[in-house]
Amino acid sequence: MYVELKNINKHFGNFKASDNVSFGIEKGKLIGLLGPSGSGKTTILRMIAGLETPDNGDIIIDGKVINNVPASKRGIGFVFQSYALFRYMTVFENIAFGLRVLKKSDSEIKDRVAELVKLIGLDGLENRYPSQLSGGQRQRVAFARALAPNPQLLLLDEPFAAIDAKVRQELRHWLKEMIAKLGVTSIFVTHDQDEAIEVADEIIIMNKGRIDQIGKPLDVYSTPKTAFVASFFGQPSIFKDYSKFRRFDAVEGAEQTIVRPEFVKVTKKTEVQKFKNSAEEGVVTDVAFRGSGIELSVLVNGVTLTARRGFDEPSVSVGEKVDVFIYRIFVTAGDNAYLLENKSLREPVVVI
Amino acid sequence: MYKETKSSKAVKWFLIGVSVLFVVLMLLLPLITVITEAFKQGFAVYEKAVTDNYTVKAFWLTLEATALAVVINTVFGLSAAWSLTKFHFRGKKILTTLIDLPVTVSPIIAGLIFLLTFGRQSPIFPLLQDWDVKIVFAVPGIVLATIFVTFPFISRELIPVLEARGNDEEEAAALMGAKGFTIFRKITFPHIKWAFLYGVVLCAARAMGEFGAVSVISGHLRGKTNTLPLHVEILFNEFQYVPAFAVASILVLLAIFILIARSLIEYNGKKKNKVEP
Amino acid sequence: MKRTNRSVIPGFGLTTGITLAILSIVVLIPLASLVVFTAHMSLDEIVATITRDRVLSSFRVSFVTAFVASLINAVMGVVLAWVLVKYSFPLKRLIDGMIELPFALPTAVAGIALTTLTADTGLVGGFFAKFGVKIAFTQAGITVALVFIGIPFVVRAVQPVLEKLDPAYEEAAGVLGASRSRIFWKIVFPEIVPAALTGFGLAFGRCLGEYGSVVFIAGNKPFETEIVPLIIMSELQEYDYASATTIALVMLVASFVTLFLVNLIQTRNTRILKGGA
Ligand SMILES: Nc1ncnc2c1ncn2[C@@H]1O[C@H](COP(=O)(O)OP(=O)(O)O)[C@@H](O)[C@H]1O
Ligand SMILES: [Mg+2]
Repeated sequence: MYVELKNINKHFGNFKASDNVSFGIEKGKLIGLLGPSGSGKTTILRMIAGLETPDNGDIIIDGKVINNVPASKRGIGFVFQSYALFRYMTVFENIAFGLRVLKKSDSEIKDRVAELVKLIGLDGLENRYPSQLSGGQRQRVAFARALAPNPQLLLLDEPFAAIDAKVRQELRHWLKEMIAKLGVTSIFVTHDQDEAIEVADEIIIMNKGRIDQIGKPLDVYSTPKTAFVASFFGQPSIFKDYSKFRRFDAVEGAEQTIVRPEFVKVTKKTEVQKFKNSAEEGVVTDVAFRGSGIELSVLVNGVTLTARRGFDEPSVSVGEKVDVFIYRIFVTAGDNAYLLENKSLREPVVVI
Repeated sequence: MYKETKSSKAVKWFLIGVSVLFVVLMLLLPLITVITEAFKQGFAVYEKAVTDNYTVKAFWLTLEATALAVVINTVFGLSAAWSLTKFHFRGKKILTTLIDLPVTVSPIIAGLIFLLTFGRQSPIFPLLQDWDVKIVFAVPGIVLATIFVTFPFISRELIPVLEARGNDEEEAAALMGAKGFTIFRKITFPHIKWAFLYGVVLCAARAMGEFGAVSVISGHLRGKTNTLPLHVEILFNEFQYVPAFAVASILVLLAIFILIARSLIEYNGKKKNKVEP
Repeated sequence: MKRTNRSVIPGFGLTTGITLAILSIVVLIPLASLVVFTAHMSLDEIVATITRDRVLSSFRVSFVTAFVASLINAVMGVVLAWVLVKYSFPLKRLIDGMIELPFALPTAVAGIALTTLTADTGLVGGFFAKFGVKIAFTQAGITVALVFIGIPFVVRAVQPVLEKLDPAYEEAAGVLGASRSRIFWKIVFPEIVPAALTGFGLAFGRCLGEYGSVVFIAGNKPFETEIVPLIIMSELQEYDYASATTIALVMLVASFVTLFLVNLIQTRNTRILKGGA
């Protein structure tokens, strides 16, 4: 492990911002630290950087405990959520700052800055001030500034939060490529599940100061280990009792049932569907057009579920009776989450 | 704004009229009085009063006290602003309150406390005498009293600006290994430049005009511990009205200079803020 | 003092050290000497000093004139702030700049100018003398000087509130058919009141302690135009430090209470400003 946190605790007054946090990161990986706002992500990042001190626990980088190493000696690049660009310095001076502190020669600084400016695609804008740049451009400058002194570890706090949706998409890919190209170990914080899934090699999910789950995006998504993680992804419909949906096994002490839209298949009465006879009847209560398809709300067994249909499928209307088939559900008991499959999927299909 | 009605127009001009009348009577007229009284007996008398030896000495003492007050309060203001906005520590609220305390103290009391601390009845007075240090009825006392009455003038301009900005930029610079003074000079100071200048101007204005506190502690030794405002008082009380107003006109000139400087600083500060995101 | 959390930004020890050192030398130790000095006296002595008729009447004069002057300023300050924010008219910028004059003009200069103006032989005093009204050397004169001193406090407290007041807010009310005066009294006025109160409190605090501008115009007749700072000064001139200090202490407590009340209002005010707009 290149970066390792061992049993880190941190209080702000009586508030516990980090609760026994432990995780390890391999060299060269791009890690997404995901969790809702206030879950303690920034605090973790700031402790790794040395901007905050943990109450106890060890932070290890490259085999050395660095708790007592001053922030400036840790060799970490940090991109602040607000970018924290030096507002009274040009793009050039911003990127050059860390190099000047290291007392690099003027020609070295010039070359390195030129290289970075090219990398972030801002050639020709070296003499602009941050206030003369767009949000996306500022973000790139902050990125270049953090990279200039060649850090071994790059930390990014909500790097895309302040950027509008369209540019955000572009920047995500750009950042992923950049980091892959440079091979620098990176941790980025986000509260956006899509962002974490798209960009990260591995996701660490935080909730209330604790780590709930660590894993590859697909694993975390498809096999959530905790109730929180199960309910955090997708646009889940959450309800209590699933006993009315007969084709699922019972779970001891079940508390909540979580159904993601992609688990729900809605078909018109006239449509053919493989598991038609084990589907339940529902009524469409809402039809909404989204960019990628049609989002339906259907009332089944007294529960409203969200489901999706493509534009290419025959349209359904509000009040229409439809068949609803649920492939799988998550059931939570205590802090644990269980994935249940519809038993019909395992039974031989009888086509009538 | 929606349409002005006839009556609202009447109200508008009535209020403007009242305001202008007030400003002319209360603020402009005293200013004009100083000038007209100063030149009542012609330019020669004015010139004589202004170039009088005691006046010149008082002028330099005023300048000295003002400069020292500005310097000390600058050191204090920058330190306090840095300490109070960059760090969290216990007792921060109390410290903030204590810094603001001096402006609520009557100038007379401000003079009195230095009289009590360093004067004849003070426990440390014998000590001061042994060392041959004169504070009360001497220049150091005047300077101390002047610093006291202008104490928070610079820090209270800086603190809100720094507080509103947060510490991100400083943290970013410190993370890259920049030293404290570099951070201050390159990152922080450009942000507070105008607020700082503004504070300096306010501090200087109050310092050069301070009367009550200095009056208590100076002992009114003409040519030695007399500042310009004290000199004005002495001349006026001796019924030397023209010289009194002549000396006062110097202070008026300085006041006008300060008002203009203040406006320019405010204007520039505002313009600068617009450029920022 | 201890930081509760280590910070990466350097300079905590240095800046906090300088802050505390200068604060102690200039403010804390001198103020403490006031308390130490009074601690030598018995309660009976203290009570006897401040219940002397002349002292009591000086407190009365001080409070009454400061209150009346601040009241006048509260009204005029709101009018001026309103005119400066809501209307445009020729020379507005100049008037806006003039408001600051009492901060920039040395109080002694203001004092002699106002005295000359309002004396029976002066421009304004002469006019009123025709109707048998005396200004200089009466409590009216003191009030005039205090109005001069206090006006910027109210204007500068109210101005930002009016500027922040969302015009859409007033417009919305206008569209709903509320009349102008109704809009003012129901919507704008409640917003101004806390700011005006703050300004009133600040002006009142300053007026209570004011010396320079008052000493000339007051005439210093015991029981009539003698204010507290004047009586402290005359005790000092008679080397009665005990009396001077006792009176000063009472005065100090009065201004701290004023400040405390102002702070209460101000805290509420900022909450509204930050939350509301
Ligand atoms: N310096 C601080 N002082 C007090 N509380 C803090 C401080 N920093 C963070 N917190 C609290 O810790 C919690 C977690 O904060 P943070 O790590 O910023 O969360 P996230 O980045 O996940 O939104 C929040 O409730 C926040 O109020
Ligand atoms: Mg955060």
